[in-house]
Amino acid sequence: MKHTNRIVNLLVPIVSVLLSFVIGCIIMAALGANPATALQSLWIGAFGTMRNVGTTLSRATPLIFTALCACFAYRCGVFNLGGEGQFLMGAIVSCVISTQLGITGLPAIILCLIAGALAGGVWALIAGVLRVFRGQNEMIISIMLNYVATLFMGVIYTSWLRDGSVPQTVAVPDETQLSRLGDLRATTAFILALVVGLLVYYFLFHTSKGFQLRAVGLNMTAAQFNGFAVKKFILMSFIVSGAIAGLGGSADLLGTQFRLINGYGSGYGFDGVAMALIAQLHPIAAIVVAIFFAALRVGSTTMQAATGVPTSVSDIIQALVIVFTVAGLAMVKLPQFRAVIDRMATKSVQKKEAV
Amino acid sequence: MEELLRMEHITKKFGDVYANRNINLDVRKGEVHTLLGENGAGKSTLMNVLFGLYQPTEGTIYLHGKPVRIESPAQAVKLGIGMVHQHFMLVEAMTVFENIILGDRNTKGIFINHDARKKEILELSERYGLDVELDKPITDIAVGAQQRVEILKALYRGADLLVLDEPSAALTDQEVEGLFDIMHKLTSEGKSIIFISHKMREVLHISDRITILRAGETVCTLNRDETTGEELANLMIGRELTPSHYEKIENPGEAVVALENVDYDKTSKHNGLNGVSLTVGRGEIVGIAGVDGNGQSQLAQVVTGVLTPDAGRVDLKGSHVAQFTPNGFILESVSHIPEDRNKMGLIGNMSVRDNIVLKSTDTPEFSAAHGLFLKKKAIRDYALKMQEKYDIRCSSIDQEARNLSGGNQQKIILARELEGKPDLLVAVHPTRGLDIGATRFVHDTMIEARDRGCGVLLISADFDEILEVSDRIVVMFEGQVMGVFSGKNPPIADISLAMAGK
Repeated sequence: MKHTNRIVNLLVPIVSVLLSFVIGCIIMAALGANPATALQSLWIGAFGTMRNVGTTLSRATPLIFTALCACFAYRCGVFNLGGEGQFLMGAIVSCVISTQLGITGLPAIILCLIAGALAGGVWALIAGVLRVFRGQNEMIISIMLNYVATLFMGVIYTSWLRDGSVPQTVAVPDETQLSRLGDLRATTAFILALVVGLLVYYFLFHTSKGFQLRAVGLNMTAAQFNGFAVKKFILMSFIVSGAIAGLGGSADLLGTQFRLINGYGSGYGFDGVAMALIAQLHPIAAIVVAIFFAALRVGSTTMQAATGVPTSVSDIIQALVIVFTVAGLAMVKLPQFRAVIDRMATKSVQKKEAV
Repeated sequence: MEELLRMEHITKKFGDVYANRNINLDVRKGEVHTLLGENGAGKSTLMNVLFGLYQPTEGTIYLHGKPVRIESPAQAVKLGIGMVHQHFMLVEAMTVFENIILGDRNTKGIFINHDARKKEILELSERYGLDVELDKPITDIAVGAQQRVEILKALYRGADLLVLDEPSAALTDQEVEGLFDIMHKLTSEGKSIIFISHKMREVLHISDRITILRAGETVCTLNRDETTGEELANLMIGRELTPSHYEKIENPGEAVVALENVDYDKTSKHNGLNGVSLTVGRGEIVGIAGVDGNGQSQLAQVVTGVLTPDAGRVDLKGSHVAQFTPNGFILESVSHIPEDRNKMGLIGNMSVRDNIVLKSTDTPEFSAAHGLFLKKKAIRDYALKMQEKYDIRCSSIDQEARNLSGGNQQKIILARELEGKPDLLVAVHPTRGLDIGATRFVHDTMIEARDRGCGVLLISADFDEILEVSDRIVVMFEGQVMGVFSGKNPPIADISLAMAGK
């Protein structure tokens, strides 16, 4: 029973990806390109050379952080849609510390990362407090806080820390930037993302508090009746998920972005939510999904240059993956579908017994 | 008086279970006919048959002497049957007027002639004293007024026979008086009413005739003038005392929990506590008898720390409780079998194994380094042991708890709540929906816990269950304690009267 469930849950995203690519290929063919060549150039663009792999991993890094942020909050049953704002608050604080305090090097990096995580956590906590103590809808509050964070960043790069005539901040000093992984474009920020992913996985599935947090997320009333401090868990999940996003913003700023500019971070939050849902809130799966999406994005440029298929075809494929997975996951929860699966499972068991 | 409705030999089976068995009921023109019976006596099933929601397995319904088949509520309405459900079926965002004309099939054409409709409705409301404000949205009017809207709706659709399902449950005393005035007006104009209630006082006050149902069968039909509350209560509970399987204890140990004048939301008659004083001693089972929704849920939640009382004192094992949190009570080894096992007891999407250890993953037995590392193997072994001990039938302990049958779900909760050897066990409807075998198992387990010195507070709407296992029986009515009785040779007539609020 458990195994069939697992297989179904794994099959849904895989089938969704295949379906999305089939439709993508039809679109490519309709545009007059050869789908095989287009897909090949997409692959080469994403993973063909070490340089491209580096680019893909570096693009994946912020997405991994926001996807983990969403995973963590949703596991506790709260819908933190403010990953983007928390990510930006982390980046903003790191930008200020690295450029204004006059410290550089490793101490500055550590300070930036810690402060970034704190900033993200505090930013998320605003939504958490309003949810727990005032009964407000955390989705609306956290989305609104995204706008506040974006506009706050705007004030910084257009006036307070403006770098001369261009509307952007001064860059993070060279010594404070995160080092690259060998020759790759990806930096230690990617390693940090992997470590955070593993920690989240370990916490959720191998610690007592993580177990309780999942119980709260699945049935708050029962969790309360069984003596869990539900409010504390909710507040904690807001803080931690915000801190993950804030850490991501901080690491991304020190690793690849270096300065705050117009449009920075836009879409990261919702991308993370979509990826967390495709990964079915599993942190390790979220990392894989984030890399997959980054690959589609990075590879599409090569595809456009080589075959003339516009990058928007890649956007279409990404969107279709999300639509199919969400629809697929809803479908497998239908009682009719369950009945079919159960029948198949019993049949296979009977067959085995017959043999 | 002329006969309006006759239901003859109505039988309704669900699978192998009889919900109604050979029921006879006749309602005359212009009378209030009460259906009296405990929870699960078959009143709702019978009314659903009448309203076309169920088809009877056997039996015939006659209206005005002619046999009819009622296949849908729409057809019931057409035949002049109106139902006022206990939970009103009104569209809250719409006005009273809109609710009344909603679904009216007499409307011809696309447009509604508002003025003509309003005039008709106003005439009806004046005739029967159903005072409502037509242009107010439902959300803005009181519960009593909402009920009048429901009655008006039924009358507007041409009902001659009104079914009022526990109409007084949600009303204040004054509103109940108003309702009775309306009922008198309706019957004096020739309408008939089937009145469903648990409350002896009201039944004796308003009915012309009373039909008593018990365990899906008609006991008898009596004229109001020829009966008494005692007789009705006895007929309703209707049992000779069957000797209990269990030995009853008369001298319990010191108090595990003691409540003194506890209030919780005491103006609410059905979801509150009003000056409740109660003790549960070590090694005794205190059964709370009473019709569902007289404050039992709130009592259970106060003594497990889920709700904080508004006033009064609660002592747990001799020390005053200052802060009410479920965890605080759990640490004082209070166990809880909550009333809704799916909503409150289990995490349905987690496995049987996870649900068994739900409360104890912080203990060194199941996790190392203060919960930093779950001992999965220890958890698994323990869960397997519990599966065997409590005979939890599942395909594997990794199966999700929601996929198990009710009895096996309850066994998961028993395994979790009783294995820690609690000092106080609060069990709410612990056998609801279970078969005989599982019920017996739950009772044996409770008795075992009692004999070990655990105090048990048993709350159940099943009177048989209360009689079977309780050492002491406390009756609750509208949030108050109506009486305390011995569980050994319990005075059934007195208890049933107390349950009916007398």
